[in-house]
Amino acid sequence: MTEPAGELEQARLDLELSHGELWFRYFELGGMSTALEVEAYLYGALRPTGHDRDMVATALNERFSELGGDHPVPYSDDEDGA
Amino acid sequence: MNRVGQEGVSFDVSVLFSPPVVVVSVWGGVGLLTAPSLGALLGDLIDRGHIDVVVDLVELEFMDASGLGVIASATARLRPVGGVLSIRSPSVMVRRLLEIADMSELIAVGSPDPGAGVLGPEQRSGDRSESVASVASGSMAVDLARVAALPAGNDVVDAALRLVTALARATVGGADGVSVSLRRHGQVTTVAASDETIAQMDRDQYATGEGPCLAAASEGHWFHIESLAEETRWPQFVPRALEDGIGSILSTPLMVSARPVGALNIYSNTERAFGPPDQELAALFATQASGILADAGVDIATEEVAKRLQDALQARETIAQAQGVVMARQGVTAEVAYAALRQSSKRTGVPVRHRAAEIVASTAREGLIGEVTA
Repeated sequence: MTEPAGELEQARLDLELSHGELWFRYFELGGMSTALEVEAYLYGALRPTGHDRDMVATALNERFSELGGDHPVPYSDDEDGA
Repeated sequence: MNRVGQEGVSFDVSVLFSPPVVVVSVWGGVGLLTAPSLGALLGDLIDRGHIDVVVDLVELEFMDASGLGVIASATARLRPVGGVLSIRSPSVMVRRLLEIADMSELIAVGSPDPGAGVLGPEQRSGDRSESVASVASGSMAVDLARVAALPAGNDVVDAALRLVTALARATVGGADGVSVSLRRHGQVTTVAASDETIAQMDRDQYATGEGPCLAAASEGHWFHIESLAEETRWPQFVPRALEDGIGSILSTPLMVSARPVGALNIYSNTERAFGPPDQELAALFATQASGILADAGVDIATEEVAKRLQDALQARETIAQAQGVVMARQGVTAEVAYAALRQSSKRTGVPVRHRAAEIVASTAREGLIGEVTA
């Protein structure tokens, strides 16, 4: 569960999602952290729990899916390395 | 010690009688499948005259609106008999849920606040602990206001009202739909509705200028139509509601500073659906909704209902329900259940919220048995 924070931030930049938009998507999925905290996860200033980190990854992956992509951001419990 | 629970279910309850208090300790998750067991137990205790009830949640991992509904329901039953229900050691998550539902006064004084650095179960299960819950809750409200790009305040108020609506719908016996209507700029409008039928019922009242909701919102006391077929008041509105298939309606006023500002409306498709306990429960939810409005200063400006926010809250609730179902079926923790949902979504390419809705729907169809992570 020591994912590099840069991976999430890079995905956000690739998707051209604002921090606010990403947080809202994370909130929709049941996330309990504030927008500031999620932003801090992405910058590596705060370290999320594995569960929280995977929820941010889910928010990013669902946006990739909407754009016709797969789930490029790996989860901590992926067996096939995604 | 009295235990109830379901086979293979990560939910358990123990009851400790220490007069005059009875302590109900809850383990695991309280969700769609398990909340009725907890509700039945609390109801049984209250029936047997235990009116000082402490619900200890130190071992609770997960709770959704159906769990909150059970607690609200027990609180409503205790109030008229001078009893009290208090919650001990809620996790950060439950604390926030209680705050959103305006039920945080139930948290026992001196209860350790996991957000204040006291170790709670969420430290094990991976929840965060660095921020004080009340502060965090406040900033989440600000986050919502900012992201939804709406005037700060009202959208959060509406979101809270929608949660109250959802709770009332899940809790009040016989309720087929719930709405909250508010007087804004002299006009009564619906700000939260659980389904299209009740939205239509509200519109029928606005169109005809009469009905129990408008009466409650202007006169400040509740109106009960036990049987639409026999109702003689509101001759313009009643035939329309009958066409909508409605059998009975209970409208409870929302009061701020002793003045009515709106109404909490509950309808049922059957006649005489609401007994005295349901009326008490409706009054409790109306009190909660009124409290939210009072806290917000009730500068109730007309503003667009935040459809997106409504969808977001609905998605969260559906996911939480599905999470509870998976926990119950597989006997796993909240986080393992969420991971199963997430992986299932990844495998099938179906977004998490839609996968969750499928699971909830399959539960409604099949009962407790079924494959979850198909």
